[in-house]
Amino acid sequence: MVTAIHELSTRLADQISAGEVIERPASVVKELVENSIDAQSTKIDVVIEDTNHQVIKVIDNGTGIVPEQVELAFRRYATSKISQSEDLTRIHSLGFRGEALPSIASIAKVTMQTSDGIHPGVQLQVMGGQLGTKQPAASRRGTTVVVSDLFYNTPHRRRYLKSANTELAKITETINQLALGHPQIAISLRHNQKEVLQTAGRGNLQQVIGGIYNNQILKQLLAVDRSTDDFIVHGYIGKPELTRASRNYISLIINGRYVRNADLSKAVIAGYGSKLMVGRFPMVILELTIDPSRLDVNVQPTKQAVRLLDHQELGLFLTETISQRLQKQNLIPQALDNKVVRTTVSAHNQMEVALNLTEATPPIAQLPATPQPDQPVKSTQRSVVGAPILVKTSDDLQQPAVRAFQQRYAQEPAGAPFENQPTALKTFPSLRYLAQVHGTYLVAEGDEGLYLIDQHAAQERINYERLRVAVGKVENSEQPLLVPLIFDYSAAEALTIQQNLATLASIGLQLEPFGSNSFVVHQHPTWIKAGQEESTIRELIDWVLVHRQVSIADFREQTAIMASCKQAIKANHHLDQKQAVALLQRLAQCENPYNCPHGRPVLVHFSNTDLETMFKRIQDTHDSKESEF
Amino acid sequence: MNFSINRVAFIKALNVVQRAISAKTTIPILTGLKIDVTDHEIMLTGSNADISIQTTISTANPDNELQIQATGSLVLSPARFFAEIVKKLPDRELQVDVADQYQTTIKSGNSEFNINGLDANGYPHLPEIDHEHQIELPAKLLREVISQTVIAVSKQESRPILTGVHFTLEKHLLAVATDSHRLSQREVELESPLTSPADFVIPGDSLKELSRMLDDEEDLIKLSLSENQVLFTFGETQFYSRLLEGNYPDTSRLIPNSSDTKVQFAAGELLAAVERASLLSHESRNNVIKLTIKPADKQVMITGNSPDVGKVEENLEPQALSGNDLEISFNPDYLREALRVFGSVPVEVAFTSALRPFTIKPLERPDEFIQLITPVRTF
Ligand SMILES: Nc1ncnc2c1ncn2[C@@H]1O[C@H](COP(=O)(O)OP(=O)(O)OP(=O)(O)O)[C@@H](O)[C@H]1O
Ligand SMILES: [Mg+2]
Ligand SMILES: [Zn+2]
Repeated sequence: MVTAIHELSTRLADQISAGEVIERPASVVKELVENSIDAQSTKIDVVIEDTNHQVIKVIDNGTGIVPEQVELAFRRYATSKISQSEDLTRIHSLGFRGEALPSIASIAKVTMQTSDGIHPGVQLQVMGGQLGTKQPAASRRGTTVVVSDLFYNTPHRRRYLKSANTELAKITETINQLALGHPQIAISLRHNQKEVLQTAGRGNLQQVIGGIYNNQILKQLLAVDRSTDDFIVHGYIGKPELTRASRNYISLIINGRYVRNADLSKAVIAGYGSKLMVGRFPMVILELTIDPSRLDVNVQPTKQAVRLLDHQELGLFLTETISQRLQKQNLIPQALDNKVVRTTVSAHNQMEVALNLTEATPPIAQLPATPQPDQPVKSTQRSVVGAPILVKTSDDLQQPAVRAFQQRYAQEPAGAPFENQPTALKTFPSLRYLAQVHGTYLVAEGDEGLYLIDQHAAQERINYERLRVAVGKVENSEQPLLVPLIFDYSAAEALTIQQNLATLASIGLQLEPFGSNSFVVHQHPTWIKAGQEESTIRELIDWVLVHRQVSIADFREQTAIMASCKQAIKANHHLDQKQAVALLQRLAQCENPYNCPHGRPVLVHFSNTDLETMFKRIQDTHDSKESEF
Repeated sequence: MNFSINRVAFIKALNVVQRAISAKTTIPILTGLKIDVTDHEIMLTGSNADISIQTTISTANPDNELQIQATGSLVLSPARFFAEIVKKLPDRELQVDVADQYQTTIKSGNSEFNINGLDANGYPHLPEIDHEHQIELPAKLLREVISQTVIAVSKQESRPILTGVHFTLEKHLLAVATDSHRLSQREVELESPLTSPADFVIPGDSLKELSRMLDDEEDLIKLSLSENQVLFTFGETQFYSRLLEGNYPDTSRLIPNSSDTKVQFAAGELLAAVERASLLSHESRNNVIKLTIKPADKQVMITGNSPDVGKVEENLEPQALSGNDLEISFNPDYLREALRVFGSVPVEVAFTSALRPFTIKPLERPDEFIQLITPVRTF
């Protein structure tokens, strides 16, 4: 018997499309809340109850649906939000495909109660795509949708559901994303009578962020507001110290829609330049407004992926916005605000050290011996290398040359400092150790003046150069575990990890698949410090997830950096004379003793001239001589 | 509430409960000290999310010079502030008097403090204890069990269950801890076995705190259980700790029951040699030392190797050795910590192969205490 080709029954078609739109309870929540947002609600309550699997209830105070149209809402491709296909190019609403409600109703029991506040309210139940009878209901303005028995008729899907807790976590994440995009709506989430989240709906993004993460974090965020003819951005970016192990803390909201877009995330990270620790990611919440016709949201049924016509421009705009915001932050450290002299010296010298990293720059020795205070760099001077930048007061920091330099340095790709540095640096001074300050910095003198060395950064550099070689050798030794470690990932992440198992194995990480999206680790390389096994392995895997495909060389590099940092002496650690001297000696032997593997400076220099200027010996030579007599 | 009391006796009791009170807690009332006064005694309570400590001061003990005029309960917060006041009071005695709205007056000599108290009804209740699961252990023995096991507890918060010591009680008390690189297990015969077995995990930090409090105790310590708490009772004091939730991994199969190579040492001598060798291994990236055992030649050699710094080799003098030749590498820190708890008694180190965990036991009563260390696989 031959099966005749036939049109899919609507019910089956709905079930198939449900498979695309509705992966799990969180997808239901997302679709329902988006509908409530589109209906101009100012208050949306989401209630999750764990009886009989999960019951999801979404209550809003939006426009509601007029009685005669309620059935339509459950019909496939029925939407009130767009009508002609040109409308697809100017979507202001979150929903537009007209398939969310029918999809949900095809695989669950859905009860909708709705009223526009004028007509009498109605209630309609739909289960497995079968419409029930419409009944009269209260005429409170707004809509209540209750979804239960999810996946009751698609048992293989139900089986893939994780524990109620995992699903709740996903739901929470979904609500967080929606709340971040809509600070003007009071959104609440309750689970088994317990409040999980509640936003005030006062339009204050900062308040929403505080509610979602914690109020502590607000102190570490910098406000960002910028607009051009094409883009408007408003939001908060974490200071570079506030890092996270994954990109999931970069939240980008475009025209009210939480979006995932790898290019834009990369652009955000690029804005941080070398300020982030390798393998760590910033926390960023940015609301972007762009012309809807420049944005294609109809890429994927879940509407989270977007295609941007101007993604390069937008990326650049983001990178620039962030790097400028961070520079403002860095250049004027508060502690130094009223100590112009110190700002001067350290800023000046940090730059000298940094300048040496660019090939085109003459080494310190070739820089003019005395600064010329009366000849500030002319604002027309465009090149940032080749000539020393003179900074005498904090106002000088505003010079175009300084800014240009900062910009250039900030945008130096994070990889650059790790490459073998051309050794224009034979001039590394011979340092005589003097003292340790606050268990953190070493003070040393050389013929050219005074040096402050960050002991952690110095040791990191030394370790790194040693480990870069050592990790490359295959004589990795392994520490077996009595109780194996188990790592859980999302399906997408697990796939990427699967593809990179060989790379991970090449540095001694043997991940074995364990259940659907989990991996088990029975042993680990011995360079991983005790007590940090899990976090280090996670960081390594995270790194694979970010870079997708990685070469073994990259990976070893990363591994070495991570190990060098973990093994380095931390701040607030007393070093005795011998240890300090040894550290300085080993530093001098490094290929690039000037930067730690993360690109931060290892030492700063106060030249003799700087010192003399600071104590006004240069300007006042004559006076001071006289007063001695 | 109104009572007067000897200041030194009161401070002693305050110091005991203050161990459980932390200034950093998410439940504000727990920064306070709870005082319950009944007809014949005062009970002080301090608590944090992990442990709670209760101690009683009775009128029966004349040293307390306790006189109770009126009963009642209240919470004084923060506890540290109250304790500072009491410690600085001038007189031998002090009097505490609580008026309406928990207004508390503390008098001693000519000094008088007025502080605001809180309603004790807001203070969390301590759990009901089940008296079916109850055992008694001498303080010294309990201290020993704790010190022998907490060393192997994991510091990784990401695997919370391993941050505790796993206890199983029936005929014996069995205490096991592992951070998954090493394992430590202590067994104690119970004088009066339990009728039904019990199985629970106590946070390592709670045990360390308890052990500190047991320093001067000589008597029997009573251990009782509730669903999610364990209670240790000693003298006038009750020490509650939360139990860790979750299933402890099955460790019974991890301990090998046979061995192919055995070496006996004085624990202290082996410890000294390991410490010397680890001077070098600490300089290397792997932190690994190697034992080479050749029973036929009566030779045991320990080597540490750091490509950057140099090499150390030392011939050890074991008290006895037998079995097959073996070369095995491991992290010396684990062996060092394991050996420290043995003091100077003779121990037997038993190996099966270079890749299997090895054990360390005391020569005397080897069944009571065993430590297991995983070797490092070198390529
Ligand atoms: N909470 C609500 N308040 C008012 N109208 C609603 C609500 N939920 C759904 N509707 C109506 O039902 C229609 C169908 O909703 P559905 O979610 O299926 O499609 P959509 O939102 O238009 O598109 P998408 O499939 O992209 O979500 C909507 O267009 C809207 O008119
Ligand atoms: Mg919709
Ligand atoms: Zn660094």
